[in-house]
Amino acid sequence: MPEKSSYVQNLEQCMKCNLCTFVCPMMEVNPFYPGPKKAGPDGERYRLMAPEFYDYALKYCLNCKRCEISCPSDVKVGDIIQRARLKYAGHNLRDYMLASTDLVGILASPFAPVLNPVLRSKTVKGAMHLLAGVDSRRTFPSYSSRKFTSWYRKNVRDGFIKGESAPTGKFVSFFHGCYVNYNYPRLGEDLLRLVNAAGYGVRLLEKERCCGVALISNSFGSQARRQAIVNLDSMRKAVGRGEDIITVSSTCTFTMRDEYSHVLDLENSDVRPHLMLLSKWLYGKIESGEVQLKFNPDFRLRVAYHTACHMQKLGWRNYTLELLKLIPGVELVELPQNCCGIAGTFGFKKENYRYSQTIGDKLFTDIRLARGPQELESDVPFVVCTECETCKWQIEMSTGIPVLNPVSILASALFSSRQ
Amino acid sequence: MKYDAIITGGGRSGCAAAETLLERGWSVCVVAAGLRLDADQDAPYQQLNELARKGAVVLSGDRTSGGIWADSADEYCRKLLAVKTLNYDDRPLEARVFILAGGKFFSMGLRSDSERVFEPVFGSDVEFIPGRENWYSPDFFAPQPFMGFGVKTDTHGRVLFGGKPALNLYAVGSIVAANFTPADPSKIELPDTESDA
Repeated sequence: MPEKSSYVQNLEQCMKCNLCTFVCPMMEVNPFYPGPKKAGPDGERYRLMAPEFYDYALKYCLNCKRCEISCPSDVKVGDIIQRARLKYAGHNLRDYMLASTDLVGILASPFAPVLNPVLRSKTVKGAMHLLAGVDSRRTFPSYSSRKFTSWYRKNVRDGFIKGESAPTGKFVSFFHGCYVNYNYPRLGEDLLRLVNAAGYGVRLLEKERCCGVALISNSFGSQARRQAIVNLDSMRKAVGRGEDIITVSSTCTFTMRDEYSHVLDLENSDVRPHLMLLSKWLYGKIESGEVQLKFNPDFRLRVAYHTACHMQKLGWRNYTLELLKLIPGVELVELPQNCCGIAGTFGFKKENYRYSQTIGDKLFTDIRLARGPQELESDVPFVVCTECETCKWQIEMSTGIPVLNPVSILASALFSSRQ
Repeated sequence: MKYDAIITGGGRSGCAAAETLLERGWSVCVVAAGLRLDADQDAPYQQLNELARKGAVVLSGDRTSGGIWADSADEYCRKLLAVKTLNYDDRPLEARVFILAGGKFFSMGLRSDSERVFEPVFGSDVEFIPGRENWYSPDFFAPQPFMGFGVKTDTHGRVLFGGKPALNLYAVGSIVAANFTPADPSKIELPDTESDA
C-alpha cells in the first residue's frame, strides 16, 4: 500500500502578480471563470475558512497547467484548483459515464460494430445532448471491436510479435491506457513494432486500470485513488524486474508521474523515474548508442508537431522532435504552443462546447497555415503529430486533418526487409 | 541532450545571453522557471517564443535543481558537466558552458534564511553582510544594502566556489553581487571538449 506523499500546497508564496491569469486559455473566452489566481491560491484561503466559499465556476479549469508554468514564485496553482474540485465539486451520471473510461470501454467493445454508427447518428446525438448533456456537435471516438490486450495475447510471444523478430530477453513494460485498449489498438501494435525493432520485448503490466485523469477532473477522488494504487502496485513489480514502463499518451504519463502525488496524495517517487513516454525512452537508448533504427529512405511525410498541454508541462517535446528528425523523409514544423480546448471530458459536455472550440481556434488556424492551401497541397501527405489522444479527437473533428501519435509515424517509417 | 550552453533563468539577462549566443551560432537551452514580470505582460512571453523560433530549446516552467560536476583532484577548480531540472532529474542536461541568470530574491536566484544569503542551485559563494539587522536601512529611500548582495565572480564572470572560479559556469544579470563582474556572453569561449575532458 503506497504511503501518503509529502506534497504541500504553497499558496502563501503567491504574490498576486496575475501572470497565471494572463496565460490562462479559459480566461480569454469565458467571463464566468474567475481565473487561476482567484480560483487557486486566493480561493483556497476562503475555502480553508469555510467550504461554502467553494466557487462552482472552478469546473471551467482545463487543468492545462499553464498557470504553473508561468508562475515566477513556483506556486502549484493548477494543483490547488484540482484538489479543491476533488474535495468540494459534485458530479452527475453524465460525468460518471464520461469519467469511467474502463467501464464504458469494456461495455462498448463487444458491440463496437453496432455502437459506432449508432453513436454517430443524428438521433442518438440529439438524445444524448438533451438527456445526457453530451454535446451533439461532438464526434465520439470509435470503439474497437477487438481490444489491444486481446490482440496482444494472440499475437505476441515473449514480448515480440510472432514471426516478425526473435526475442532478445530484454524487456520494457507498457502502460497502454484506455485509448489504445478500447479505441485504437493499432497504436499499441505500432509501439510493439517500434520497440521490437529496438531489440526490446514488450510486457503488459500485471494489472492495469485507467490512469484516472477523467475521474480526477470529474471529482471521483476515491475511485481514482483505488485505480492509482492498482497501477502503482503493478508498476512497482515491473520496476523490481528492472524494467522501464513506457507509455504513448502524454496525459496518462503526466497524471501518473505528477498528479498521483500532487492531487491524490499517493507516494510514487519510486516509480516516477522509470515511467516515461516512449520518445524519452527511445531517445535515451539511441543517444547511448545501444539502439540503432533504420528508416525507409522512401518514406515521405509533412508533420506539424502540436505540443499538448501536459507534454509542455512534462517538458519532453524535444525527445519527440529529435526522434522525428531522424527520419530522412520527414518535413517537420513545430506549431506555436496553444491549447486545443478539449481538455479530455471537458469538451464533451454541452455547456462547454463553445468555450472548447473558441480556445482551439488559434491552434486550428496555425494547423491550416502549416498545411497551406488545400488546392496547392503537394503529393506528400500532411499530418499533425501529438502525444495526446483527446487533442487528436479535437483536431481531427475541427480541422479534418489526420492526427498521428509519433509512435505511429516512427513505426511506419521503419525500414522493413519485407517491404 | 547536449548543448553548447544551458542558461538557468529566462528573465531579461538570461534571454539577452541566449540571444547573443544564438547569434554566435551556439546551440542554446534556456531553463525558464516562470515568466518574468513586465509592465507589458506580452513581452516576456514573446521574448521566449522568439528565442524558440531562432532555435533555442526553451524549457518553460522547469527549474534547475542542481549540478553534476566532474571529479577533480582540486575540489575548488571544478568543471560542471550537466544540470538537473525538475523534469530532467533522472536524465540531466549536458552542456559545455553554463550560465547562471537566476535573478535576485523575488526570482529565487538568491534565497535567505535568518543568518545568511545563499544561492540555492549550485551553492556558490555569495557576497553579503553578516547579521540580518545589517541588510536593511531604516530609511526607505536610502540605498538598501541587500540589493547589492549576490554571487561572487572572477574578472571573466565565472562563478566562485571557495574563492576559486568554476571552469565553465558563468553568471550574468542581477544575481551577480554589486562589486563583482558579470560575464559578457559575447566573449565567453567554448571550452575545447577533448583537452579539458
